[in-house]
Amino acid sequence: MGKVAELPKPPEGKKVKRTAKEKLLSSDLWAARIESLWKEPDGSYWLRCRWYTIPEETATGRQPHNLRRELYHFFEANNEGDDVFYCEYEYDIHWHSFKRLAEIDDSEENSRRGRVFGLQRIGTKRIPEHVRSHKQTELERAKAMLLLATLPKSLPFSIYDDQCLGLFLYIHVVPVNGKTMSVLSVMRNLRSEVDAGTMRPYCFIEINGLKLATPENIYKVIYEALSGHRVGWKKALHYLNERFSEGIKVGKQANQPCVLLIDELDLLLTRNQSVLYNVLDWPTRSHSKLVIIGIANTMDLPEKLLPRISSRMGIQRLCFGPYNYQQLQEIILTRLEGSGAFEEQAIEFASRKVAAMSGDARRALEICRRAAELADYRLKQLPPTTKMTNNDNSARKCLIGMADVESAIQEVSQAPHIRIMKTGSRLSKILLVSMVHELYKSGLSEITFDKLAATVSSLCSSNREAIPGWDTLLKVSCKLGECRIILCEEATKHKLQKLQLNFPSDVAFALKDCPEIPWLSKYL
Amino acid sequence: MKRKFDTLSASPKLPGITMSPSRSLRERSPDPQKPIWNPRDPGQMHAVMEALHVSSIPDNVVCREDEQKRIADFCKSCIKEKKSGSMYVCGLPGTGKTLSINKVEELLVLWSKEVGFQTPETLSINCVSLPKASDLFSKMIEKFHPHLKNNACSPLQNLQKLYSQKGQPSPGNMMIIIVDEVNHLITKGQVVLLDLFMLLTLPYSRCILIGIANAINLLDRFLPILEPLNCKPTVVTFCAYSKDQILKIIQQRLGVLGYDIFEPIALEFCARKVAAASGDMRRALSVCRSAIEVFEAELRLATNKEDLNIVRFEHMEIALSRAFKTVTVHTIQSLPQHQQIILCSLVKFFRRDKKNATTLGELHRSYSETCKDMHIPPYGWFEFPDMCSALSDQGLLNIGRSKELRNKRVTLQIDSSDIRFALKEIRFFNKAVTD
Repeated sequence: MGKVAELPKPPEGKKVKRTAKEKLLSSDLWAARIESLWKEPDGSYWLRCRWYTIPEETATGRQPHNLRRELYHFFEANNEGDDVFYCEYEYDIHWHSFKRLAEIDDSEENSRRGRVFGLQRIGTKRIPEHVRSHKQTELERAKAMLLLATLPKSLPFSIYDDQCLGLFLYIHVVPVNGKTMSVLSVMRNLRSEVDAGTMRPYCFIEINGLKLATPENIYKVIYEALSGHRVGWKKALHYLNERFSEGIKVGKQANQPCVLLIDELDLLLTRNQSVLYNVLDWPTRSHSKLVIIGIANTMDLPEKLLPRISSRMGIQRLCFGPYNYQQLQEIILTRLEGSGAFEEQAIEFASRKVAAMSGDARRALEICRRAAELADYRLKQLPPTTKMTNNDNSARKCLIGMADVESAIQEVSQAPHIRIMKTGSRLSKILLVSMVHELYKSGLSEITFDKLAATVSSLCSSNREAIPGWDTLLKVSCKLGECRIILCEEATKHKLQKLQLNFPSDVAFALKDCPEIPWLSKYL
Repeated sequence: MKRKFDTLSASPKLPGITMSPSRSLRERSPDPQKPIWNPRDPGQMHAVMEALHVSSIPDNVVCREDEQKRIADFCKSCIKEKKSGSMYVCGLPGTGKTLSINKVEELLVLWSKEVGFQTPETLSINCVSLPKASDLFSKMIEKFHPHLKNNACSPLQNLQKLYSQKGQPSPGNMMIIIVDEVNHLITKGQVVLLDLFMLLTLPYSRCILIGIANAINLLDRFLPILEPLNCKPTVVTFCAYSKDQILKIIQQRLGVLGYDIFEPIALEFCARKVAAASGDMRRALSVCRSAIEVFEAELRLATNKEDLNIVRFEHMEIALSRAFKTVTVHTIQSLPQHQQIILCSLVKFFRRDKKNATTLGELHRSYSETCKDMHIPPYGWFEFPDMCSALSDQGLLNIGRSKELRNKRVTLQIDSSDIRFALKEIRFFNKAVTD
């Protein structure tokens, strides 16, 4: 960068021995990552690998933002090794462009993209012991497995795909039900089939309707993915029409079938539904070789569309309905394969509860995870002497039982306002109870501030409490109003301010058995 | 890094499976001389799927001969007289409009060569793919009069000038303009559509305009002015396919393959159902393909080498029930319990108050009451909207828009008798549903 670097010269007669790292950085050595090794039937060994390149070898050369030991990867980003090199982008030779990792390429459990290495060595002394110990107890392993980010080893349910003839498959799914995971795992399988050579290579484009600024931008995204050029949406539409409707193909990869995965399909609905019409029209043409998989939440999206679009949609539907309790149980058990931390009944209880409400897999996993955390915390509270005989205890006490699951469910489903009411100040409880009392007495849900103050005074005086002044009362009611436990008008109205309970039925439940103010239950 | 992949044609073929004489009468192919279809052969399966795909266009389009003749005659007369004319083709989706017109166009090109007229040039545009409605004119200029492309005036003005003057340098070819989905050209004031039809009234225009859309009364509704000006286009209506027509078309498509794929009863059943529902050919073809997929799934599970080599009535029935699925009793029965309770409480509420709409807040109250009757702890207000929106996604409820969550309007999309029927099997709901 303007300065001439003087490398130290080796002493006379001696050769400079360079480490492999230095050779790599001076492009005398190339690094590759071995993806798979296999033996062919004829006895020869083959390996499949991905090459790395240093910034000097790309079209743009080394840029100021390149790190000292940064590498680029051809076509597929890698996961970094142990603090050696940092790779974040994939470099496409055809288009001389850099792209970040696509999520589908992640074959490892946790994406380590963006993590800076060496940081965990800092402050080792200050990390408390039970966190620093590396041996994961059963519970911790169970916790880790239940993390939503980790992908299970196998998915109990699967779908299949079609090829080469244009096709539209509509998947509709109850929200948060594992559709993205399933579809991506299927795409991974297809990709591995292509890699193994049993299927022709295809081009895969993933689009999310939420991520598009406007529905018309979908043309831009598809065109960019197919050709690497960025153009406006009108031009992109024109080129895509040429490619799919008229079969004019440009570029080397033009003859590959193309698989388009559109998530959140219902967001592509415009007023005249032209975007959906165009996109769904393409598979119906000959020579288009386009397969579209659309995912949405609503079951009757095809019926909501114009008849000419739903006619082109075809009838291939796949329904991911809500799970029943057996399926949820199976999902949790699959995730926990190899970990005996949960009692069987606890899992069944959790899955039944969740199945009764929504059949949502994420909920079930969250509850189990929270139960594991609670059990873990409970165990760690025990005095350290009982932890000495490790194996013995892990067999007996590490089981997560019904009690933990129940408290987890309580936590998850209990609304926060009840907790706030329970832990509020003394005066706020009195205020809420007096509002309920007034509600029962007069039948009106709204009450003015002066009436409320009168009620509070009478309540307090009959129970030998100190009567609060109006200013404190006002402050307390404003605080409650901010939390939206009561709804109140603006405070400038002073004593004419109207107040209303937001959760009238829950006040009784929350404040019934208050230990500090036992006389409250009289009025509820 | 070496990769090898097989093309479809190089895949290993299983030996052909022949029929054993002990098959039941229904399953035997009607013509013993015909070659037997081997469904395990991927090449043959692919050929069948291709024949039934919407995108493969047969050589002659059956069942639309009358309509094609009308269009062809009209165009021929225009070409002979060297006059411009317009035509409007309408019909339900999937009735073969675009297909027939493309065939007619090919026919015209051949005919004009035979008879000795100048070959007409064709421009085929789908209006949905135009970013703006007025881009149609620029496309016309691009195709027919490329020398005018970079003129200062707008494309429309160029065309108007061109057609009003005599003796242009451009050849006297007839131009056929096929405008698909004309309803997308309808802008505010219908300016573009009107201009398009008015172009044809200019003395020196030589265009034959064929507009395709779904609505029968499009012109009457949006362009009533054309009638007094005497340039109302001829209207050709493509009716929905009848059962016989659907049957004939599918048989023609499969006829090229030479072997029997479907049982005759199965095809007839499919044609009958689709004709009764919509008369949409795309749907019929999808159903047939879906039936083949059901058959394939059965084939995969068949452990013994039983000769399954014809798609039977049962497969078609499964495919049809999948295609014409509505929110059945089965969906309601497979809902989570609390969502079923919500439906129950909604039915009860409507029956009691003789209304058919309510708000979310009211529904929550009713739901809590029902839960208390059943001795189940109800879910609080925080989970309630999520459960209701899950129900609306399934198409069972409809939730209106409102700023306040509690005031959103809730209506039932399905019949309450469906809910009653679905839930009366479950003892749990018996009491709640019947009173």
